[in-house]
Amino acid sequence: MTVKILTVDDSKTIRMIVKKAFKPFDVELVEAENGVEGLAMADKTKPDLIILDITMPVMTGIEMLAKLKEQDSLKDIPVIMLTAESGKENVMQIVKMGVKDYMVKPFKGEQLIDRASKFLDIRRLDDGPSLDKEYHHILLDGDICVVTPPDKISRGVMLEVDEFFKSKANQKTGVSKLVLDLGKVAKTNVNLIELVVVVIKNAQKEKVHVRVVGSETQAEEFKGFQETSDIPIHPSVAEAKSTF
Amino acid sequence: MNDLQTLDITTCVSNTVVQVFDTMLSMAVEIFPENPPPLPDGLRYVGSVAFAGDATGSVSLEMSDAFARLLTANMLGMETEEIEGTEEIEDVIGELSNMIGGDVKSRFCDRGLPCELSVPSITSGSNFRIEQVGTMHRELIGIGFQEYIAHVQVCIK
Repeated sequence: MTVKILTVDDSKTIRMIVKKAFKPFDVELVEAENGVEGLAMADKTKPDLIILDITMPVMTGIEMLAKLKEQDSLKDIPVIMLTAESGKENVMQIVKMGVKDYMVKPFKGEQLIDRASKFLDIRRLDDGPSLDKEYHHILLDGDICVVTPPDKISRGVMLEVDEFFKSKANQKTGVSKLVLDLGKVAKTNVNLIELVVVVIKNAQKEKVHVRVVGSETQAEEFKGFQETSDIPIHPSVAEAKSTF
Repeated sequence: MNDLQTLDITTCVSNTVVQVFDTMLSMAVEIFPENPPPLPDGLRYVGSVAFAGDATGSVSLEMSDAFARLLTANMLGMETEEIEGTEEIEDVIGELSNMIGGDVKSRFCDRGLPCELSVPSITSGSNFRIEQVGTMHRELIGIGFQEYIAHVQVCIK
Protein backbone atom coordinates (compact mmCIF):
# COMPACT_ATOMS: atom_id res chain seq x y z
CA MET A 1 0.00 0.00 0.00
CA THR A 2 1.27 3.49 -0.85
CA VAL A 3 2.46 5.36 2.19
CA LYS A 4 1.72 9.09 2.44
CA ILE A 5 4.37 11.41 3.87
CA LEU A 6 4.04 15.14 4.52
CA THR A 7 7.23 17.23 4.53
CA VAL A 8 6.96 20.59 6.25
CA ASP A 9 10.06 22.76 5.75
CA ASP A 10 10.57 26.31 4.48
CA SER A 11 13.70 25.16 2.65
CA LYS A 12 13.01 23.97 -0.88
CA THR A 13 16.42 22.29 -0.74
CA ILE A 14 15.42 20.07 2.17
CA ARG A 15 12.07 19.24 0.58
CA MET A 16 13.89 18.18 -2.58
CA ILE A 17 16.36 16.06 -0.61
CA VAL A 18 13.45 14.30 1.11
CA LYS A 19 11.71 13.81 -2.24
CA LYS A 20 14.83 12.28 -3.76
CA ALA A 21 15.38 10.02 -0.77
CA PHE A 22 11.89 8.53 -1.06
CA LYS A 23 11.80 8.40 -4.85
CA PRO A 24 12.68 4.67 -5.07
CA PHE A 25 9.88 3.79 -2.70
CA ASP A 26 6.12 3.40 -2.86
CA VAL A 27 5.54 6.75 -1.19
CA GLU A 28 3.23 9.64 -2.00
CA LEU A 29 4.86 12.89 -0.91
CA VAL A 30 3.07 16.12 -0.08
CA GLU A 31 4.74 19.33 1.04
CA ALA A 32 4.20 22.52 2.98
CA GLU A 33 6.43 25.55 3.55
CA ASN A 34 5.44 26.48 7.10
CA GLY A 35 3.41 25.35 10.07
CA VAL A 36 0.15 26.96 8.95
CA GLU A 37 0.26 25.28 5.56
CA GLY A 38 1.47 22.11 7.22
CA LEU A 39 -1.56 21.94 9.50
CA ALA A 40 -3.90 22.50 6.59
CA MET A 41 -2.15 19.84 4.51
CA ALA A 42 -2.13 17.38 7.39
CA ASP A 43 -5.85 17.85 7.90
CA LYS A 44 -6.53 17.49 4.19
CA THR A 45 -4.33 14.49 3.40
CA LYS A 46 -4.10 12.63 6.77
CA PRO A 47 -0.51 11.49 6.11
CA ASP A 48 1.04 8.37 7.60
CA LEU A 49 4.13 10.32 8.66
CA ILE A 50 5.06 13.99 9.02
CA ILE A 51 8.65 15.18 8.56
CA LEU A 52 8.70 18.52 10.30
CA ASP A 53 11.33 21.24 10.44
CA ILE A 54 11.57 23.30 13.61
CA THR A 55 12.68 26.74 12.47
CA MET A 56 10.19 28.13 9.97
CA PRO A 57 8.55 31.50 9.40
CA VAL A 58 4.81 32.10 9.98
CA MET A 59 4.50 29.11 12.35
CA THR A 60 7.39 27.07 13.74
CA GLY A 61 7.54 23.31 13.82
CA ILE A 62 7.08 23.27 17.57
CA GLU A 63 3.95 25.41 17.33
CA MET A 64 2.58 23.20 14.57
CA LEU A 65 3.33 20.07 16.60
CA ALA A 66 1.42 21.49 19.58
CA LYS A 67 -1.59 22.17 17.36
CA LEU A 68 -1.40 18.66 15.87
CA LYS A 69 -1.60 17.20 19.37
CA GLU A 70 -4.77 19.17 20.03
CA GLN A 71 -6.68 17.48 17.21
CA ASP A 72 -7.97 13.94 17.69
CA SER A 73 -7.74 13.19 13.98
CA LEU A 74 -4.08 14.28 13.76
CA LYS A 75 -2.52 13.73 17.19
CA ASP A 76 -1.45 10.12 16.55
CA ILE A 77 0.34 10.76 13.25
CA PRO A 78 4.02 9.97 13.86
CA VAL A 79 6.34 12.96 13.48
CA ILE A 80 10.06 13.04 12.72
CA MET A 81 11.45 16.43 13.63
CA LEU A 82 14.24 18.03 11.59
CA THR A 83 16.61 20.42 13.31
CA ALA A 84 19.93 22.11 12.59
CA GLU A 85 20.61 22.24 16.32
CA SER A 86 22.04 19.25 18.16
CA GLY A 87 22.29 20.85 21.60
CA LYS A 88 21.05 18.86 24.59
CA GLU A 89 18.32 21.33 25.56
CA ASN A 90 16.95 21.41 22.03
CA VAL A 91 16.89 17.62 21.87
CA MET A 92 15.19 17.36 25.28
CA GLN A 93 12.55 19.85 24.19
CA ILE A 94 11.87 17.84 21.04
CA VAL A 95 11.61 14.58 22.95
CA LYS A 96 9.22 16.12 25.50
CA MET A 97 6.94 17.24 22.69
CA GLY A 98 6.23 13.59 21.97
CA VAL A 99 7.79 13.21 18.55
CA LYS A 100 8.66 9.74 17.38
CA ASP A 101 12.17 10.67 16.34
CA TYR A 102 14.33 13.57 15.25
CA MET A 103 17.13 14.13 12.78
CA VAL A 104 19.88 16.69 12.96
CA LYS A 105 20.87 18.39 9.74
CA PRO A 106 23.03 17.53 7.87
CA PHE A 107 21.69 14.08 7.14
CA LYS A 108 21.84 11.61 4.28
CA GLY A 109 18.72 10.44 2.50
CA GLU A 110 19.27 6.84 3.53
CA GLN A 111 19.37 7.88 7.19
CA LEU A 112 15.93 9.39 6.80
CA ILE A 113 14.65 6.22 5.13
CA ASP A 114 15.99 4.14 8.02
CA ARG A 115 14.22 6.33 10.58
CA ALA A 116 10.95 6.40 8.68
CA SER A 117 11.08 2.62 8.24
CA LYS A 118 10.79 2.22 11.99
CA PHE A 119 7.24 3.57 11.88
CA LEU A 120 6.06 2.72 8.40
CA ASP A 121 6.13 -0.23 6.07
CA ILE A 122 8.01 1.48 3.23
CA ARG A 123 8.36 -0.69 0.18
CA ARG A 124 10.52 -0.26 -2.87
CA LEU A 125 8.70 0.39 -6.11
CA ASP A 126 10.30 -2.70 -7.68
CA ASP A 127 12.41 -5.61 -6.50
CA GLY A 128 15.65 -4.03 -7.58
CA PRO A 129 17.19 -0.64 -7.24
CA SER A 130 15.37 2.52 -8.27
CA LEU A 131 17.41 3.06 -11.38
CA ASP A 132 15.96 5.20 -14.09
CA LYS A 133 16.33 2.83 -16.98
CA GLU A 134 16.42 5.67 -19.51
CA TYR A 135 19.74 6.71 -18.03
CA HIS A 136 21.38 3.64 -16.62
CA HIS A 137 22.15 0.15 -17.78
CA ILE A 138 23.40 -2.73 -15.71
CA LEU A 139 24.24 -6.17 -17.05
CA LEU A 140 24.91 -9.22 -14.96
CA ASP A 141 27.30 -11.64 -16.62
CA GLY A 142 27.74 -14.52 -14.20
CA ASP A 143 29.54 -13.05 -11.25
CA ILE A 144 30.54 -9.89 -13.13
CA CYS A 145 28.37 -6.81 -13.06
CA VAL A 146 28.90 -4.28 -15.87
CA VAL A 147 27.73 -0.79 -15.01
CA THR A 148 27.37 1.61 -17.95
CA PRO A 149 26.44 5.15 -16.85
CA PRO A 150 24.76 7.47 -19.38
CA ASP A 151 26.42 10.34 -21.22
CA LYS A 152 25.44 12.80 -18.48
CA ILE A 153 26.26 12.05 -14.85
CA SER A 154 23.79 13.87 -12.65
CA ARG A 155 23.79 13.66 -8.89
CA GLY A 156 20.66 11.57 -9.14
CA VAL A 157 22.45 8.97 -11.25
CA MET A 158 25.28 8.84 -8.76
CA LEU A 159 22.96 8.28 -5.83
CA GLU A 160 21.00 5.63 -7.67
CA VAL A 161 24.16 3.74 -8.61
CA ASP A 162 25.31 3.95 -5.00
CA GLU A 163 21.98 2.56 -3.81
CA PHE A 164 21.99 -0.22 -6.43
CA PHE A 165 25.53 -1.19 -5.60
CA LYS A 166 24.79 -1.47 -1.92
CA SER A 167 21.71 -3.62 -2.46
CA LYS A 168 22.99 -5.94 -5.18
CA ALA A 169 26.70 -6.30 -5.04
CA ASN A 170 27.93 -9.46 -3.35
CA GLN A 171 24.71 -9.95 -1.42
CA LYS A 172 21.80 -11.15 -3.53
CA THR A 173 23.44 -12.01 -6.83
CA GLY A 174 26.82 -13.26 -5.73
CA VAL A 175 28.52 -10.51 -7.70
CA SER A 176 32.18 -10.35 -6.80
CA LYS A 177 33.47 -8.40 -9.79
CA LEU A 178 32.33 -5.13 -11.30
CA VAL A 179 33.27 -3.30 -14.48
CA LEU A 180 32.47 0.40 -14.58
CA ASP A 181 32.26 1.27 -18.28
CA LEU A 182 32.58 5.02 -18.83
CA GLY A 183 32.52 4.75 -22.60
CA LYS A 184 29.25 6.66 -22.94
CA VAL A 185 30.10 9.47 -20.53
CA ALA A 186 30.54 12.73 -22.44
CA LYS A 187 32.29 14.92 -19.90
CA THR A 188 34.79 14.38 -17.11
CA ASN A 189 33.47 16.52 -14.31
CA VAL A 190 33.07 16.53 -10.53
CA ASN A 191 30.02 14.26 -10.72
CA LEU A 192 31.89 11.63 -12.75
CA ILE A 193 34.83 11.68 -10.35
CA GLU A 194 32.46 11.29 -7.42
CA LEU A 195 30.71 8.41 -9.15
CA VAL A 196 33.98 6.58 -9.64
CA VAL A 197 34.98 7.22 -6.01
CA VAL A 198 31.57 6.04 -4.76
CA VAL A 199 31.79 2.81 -6.76
CA ILE A 200 35.34 2.05 -5.65
CA LYS A 201 34.62 2.83 -1.98
CA ASN A 202 31.53 0.61 -1.98
CA ALA A 203 33.50 -2.12 -3.79
CA GLN A 204 36.18 -2.08 -1.13
CA LYS A 205 33.54 -2.28 1.55
CA GLU A 206 31.68 -5.15 -0.12
CA LYS A 207 34.90 -6.94 -1.19
CA VAL A 208 34.03 -6.62 -4.88
CA HIS A 209 36.84 -6.32 -7.41
CA VAL A 210 36.46 -3.30 -9.69
CA ARG A 211 37.83 -2.40 -13.09
CA VAL A 212 37.24 0.98 -14.72
CA VAL A 213 36.93 1.22 -18.51
CA GLY A 214 37.44 4.51 -20.32
CA SER A 215 39.03 6.29 -23.23
CA GLU A 216 42.60 7.54 -23.40
CA THR A 217 41.28 11.06 -22.95
CA GLN A 218 39.43 10.07 -19.80
CA ALA A 219 42.53 8.29 -18.50
CA GLU A 220 44.52 11.50 -18.93
CA GLU A 221 41.81 13.62 -17.36
CA PHE A 222 41.58 11.29 -14.37
CA LYS A 223 45.25 11.89 -13.64
CA GLY A 224 44.36 15.51 -12.91
CA PHE A 225 42.12 14.58 -9.99
CA GLN A 226 43.64 13.44 -6.72
CA GLU A 227 40.85 10.93 -6.13
CA THR A 228 41.34 9.15 -9.45
CA SER A 229 44.97 9.72 -10.39
CA ASP A 230 46.03 6.22 -9.33
CA ILE A 231 43.14 4.30 -10.86
CA PRO A 232 44.15 2.22 -13.88
CA ILE A 233 41.83 2.76 -16.82
CA HIS A 234 41.22 -0.17 -19.14
CA PRO A 235 40.57 0.41 -22.83
CA SER A 236 37.64 -2.01 -23.16
CA VAL A 237 35.19 -4.09 -21.16
CA ALA A 238 36.59 -7.30 -22.62
CA GLU A 239 40.13 -6.37 -21.63
CA ALA A 240 38.98 -5.36 -18.16
CA LYS A 241 37.17 -8.68 -17.66
CA SER A 242 40.27 -10.59 -18.73
CA THR A 243 42.27 -9.05 -15.91
CA PHE A 244 40.07 -10.48 -13.14
CA MET B 1 32.92 36.26 27.08
CA ASN B 2 34.90 33.99 29.43
CA ASP B 3 32.88 30.86 28.62
CA LEU B 4 33.14 31.69 24.93
CA GLN B 5 36.85 32.24 25.17
CA THR B 6 37.33 28.65 26.33
CA LEU B 7 35.41 27.39 23.28
CA ASP B 8 37.64 26.65 20.29
CA ILE B 9 35.31 28.16 17.72
CA THR B 10 37.68 27.61 14.81
CA THR B 11 37.91 23.87 15.44
CA CYS B 12 34.16 23.56 16.06
CA VAL B 13 33.24 25.40 12.88
CA SER B 14 35.88 23.55 10.86
CA ASN B 15 34.54 20.17 11.99
CA THR B 16 30.97 21.25 11.27
CA VAL B 17 31.84 22.51 7.79
CA VAL B 18 33.65 19.25 6.93
CA GLN B 19 30.66 17.24 8.12
CA VAL B 20 28.08 19.38 6.29
CA PHE B 21 29.97 19.29 3.01
CA ASP B 22 30.64 15.57 3.30
CA THR B 23 27.11 14.56 4.32
CA MET B 24 25.02 16.84 2.12
CA LEU B 25 27.34 17.24 -0.86
CA SER B 26 29.74 14.28 -0.69
CA MET B 27 32.55 16.82 -0.99
CA ALA B 28 35.86 16.50 0.81
CA VAL B 29 36.90 20.08 1.52
CA GLU B 30 40.13 21.60 2.74
CA ILE B 31 39.97 23.91 5.74
CA PHE B 32 42.06 27.06 6.11
CA PRO B 33 41.78 27.78 9.86
CA GLU B 34 43.44 31.18 9.54
CA ASN B 35 44.35 33.68 6.82
CA PRO B 36 42.27 31.96 4.16
CA PRO B 37 42.80 32.78 0.50
CA PRO B 38 40.65 35.72 -0.60
CA LEU B 39 37.44 35.29 -2.49
CA PRO B 40 37.51 36.10 -6.19
CA ASP B 41 36.05 39.38 -7.43
CA GLY B 42 32.62 39.40 -8.97
CA LEU B 43 29.20 38.18 -7.99
CA ARG B 44 29.07 36.62 -4.52
CA TYR B 45 26.47 35.09 -2.22
CA VAL B 46 26.40 35.37 1.55
CA GLY B 47 24.12 33.29 3.75
CA SER B 48 23.86 34.53 7.35
CA VAL B 49 22.18 33.40 10.53
CA ALA B 50 22.14 35.41 13.73
CA PHE B 51 22.02 34.11 17.27
CA ALA B 52 20.92 36.10 20.30
CA GLY B 53 20.76 35.46 24.01
CA ASP B 54 23.59 34.82 26.42
CA ALA B 55 25.72 34.48 23.30
CA THR B 56 25.02 37.01 20.56
CA GLY B 57 26.48 37.27 17.11
CA SER B 58 26.27 35.81 13.65
CA VAL B 59 27.57 33.08 11.38
CA SER B 60 27.91 33.75 7.67
CA LEU B 61 28.93 31.66 4.67
CA GLU B 62 30.24 33.58 1.66
CA MET B 63 31.33 32.34 -1.74
CA SER B 64 31.53 33.20 -5.40
CA ASP B 65 28.66 32.71 -7.83
CA ALA B 66 30.54 29.87 -9.52
CA PHE B 67 31.06 27.94 -6.27
CA ALA B 68 27.47 28.60 -5.23
CA ARG B 69 26.23 27.18 -8.52
CA LEU B 70 28.41 24.11 -8.15
CA LEU B 71 27.09 23.45 -4.66
CA THR B 72 23.50 24.04 -5.75
CA ALA B 73 23.82 21.66 -8.69
CA ASN B 74 25.45 19.07 -6.46
CA MET B 75 22.87 19.37 -3.70
CA LEU B 76 19.86 19.26 -6.02
CA GLY B 77 21.17 16.61 -8.42
CA MET B 78 21.35 18.72 -11.54
CA GLU B 79 23.91 20.25 -13.87
CA THR B 80 25.02 23.84 -13.24
CA GLU B 81 23.63 24.80 -16.64
CA GLU B 82 20.18 23.70 -15.53
CA ILE B 83 20.03 26.27 -12.72
CA GLU B 84 17.62 29.00 -13.72
CA GLY B 85 17.48 32.22 -11.74
CA THR B 86 18.83 32.60 -8.23
CA GLU B 87 16.08 31.16 -6.03
CA GLU B 88 17.58 27.68 -5.85
CA ILE B 89 21.08 29.04 -5.20
CA GLU B 90 19.84 31.27 -2.40
CA ASP B 91 17.90 28.43 -0.83
CA VAL B 92 20.92 26.08 -0.85
CA ILE B 93 23.29 28.72 0.54
CA GLY B 94 20.72 29.62 3.17
CA GLU B 95 20.32 25.99 4.22
CA LEU B 96 24.08 25.41 4.40
CA SER B 97 24.52 28.52 6.56
CA ASN B 98 21.59 27.34 8.70
CA MET B 99 23.31 24.00 9.33
CA ILE B 100 26.66 25.57 10.18
CA GLY B 101 25.04 28.25 12.34
CA GLY B 102 22.82 25.68 14.03
CA ASP B 103 25.80 23.67 15.16
CA VAL B 104 27.62 26.75 16.46
CA LYS B 105 24.49 27.75 18.39
CA SER B 106 24.26 24.23 19.84
CA ARG B 107 27.84 24.48 21.12
CA PHE B 108 27.02 27.74 22.90
CA CYS B 109 23.88 26.26 24.46
CA ASP B 110 25.74 23.18 25.65
CA ARG B 111 28.19 25.53 27.38
CA GLY B 112 25.43 27.14 29.38
CA LEU B 113 24.96 30.09 27.02
CA PRO B 114 21.37 29.73 25.79
CA CYS B 115 20.53 31.63 22.65
CA GLU B 116 18.09 31.54 19.76
CA LEU B 117 18.88 31.20 16.08
CA SER B 118 17.34 33.32 13.35
CA VAL B 119 16.16 32.08 9.98
CA PRO B 120 18.85 32.51 7.31
CA SER B 121 19.15 35.68 5.27
CA ILE B 122 20.82 35.83 1.87
CA THR B 123 22.72 38.72 0.33
CA SER B 124 24.13 38.74 -3.18
CA GLY B 125 26.05 41.21 -5.25
CA SER B 126 29.53 42.11 -6.36
CA ASN B 127 30.44 45.20 -4.38
CA PHE B 128 29.50 44.87 -0.73
CA ARG B 129 30.83 43.97 2.67
CA ILE B 130 29.00 42.36 5.57
CA GLU B 131 29.92 43.68 9.01
CA GLN B 132 28.52 42.80 12.41
CA VAL B 133 28.28 46.00 14.46
CA GLY B 134 29.85 45.81 17.92
CA THR B 135 31.81 42.63 17.23
CA MET B 136 34.23 41.75 20.00
CA HIS B 137 35.51 38.54 18.53
CA ARG B 138 35.74 37.39 14.92
CA GLU B 139 36.88 34.14 13.35
CA LEU B 140 37.36 33.74 9.60
CA ILE B 141 37.77 30.23 8.20
CA GLY B 142 38.39 29.26 4.60
CA ILE B 143 36.81 26.29 2.82
CA GLY B 144 38.63 25.02 -0.24
CA PHE B 145 37.35 22.62 -2.93
CA GLN B 146 39.35 22.24 -6.13
CA GLU B 147 39.85 25.79 -7.38
CA TYR B 148 36.99 27.19 -5.33
CA ILE B 149 37.10 28.98 -1.98
CA ALA B 150 34.42 29.97 0.52
CA HIS B 151 34.59 31.85 3.80
CA VAL B 152 32.80 31.14 7.07
CA GLN B 153 32.81 34.09 9.45
CA VAL B 154 31.72 33.88 13.08
CA CYS B 155 31.20 37.20 14.85
CA ILE B 156 30.47 37.39 18.56
CA LYS B 157 29.43 40.49 20.44
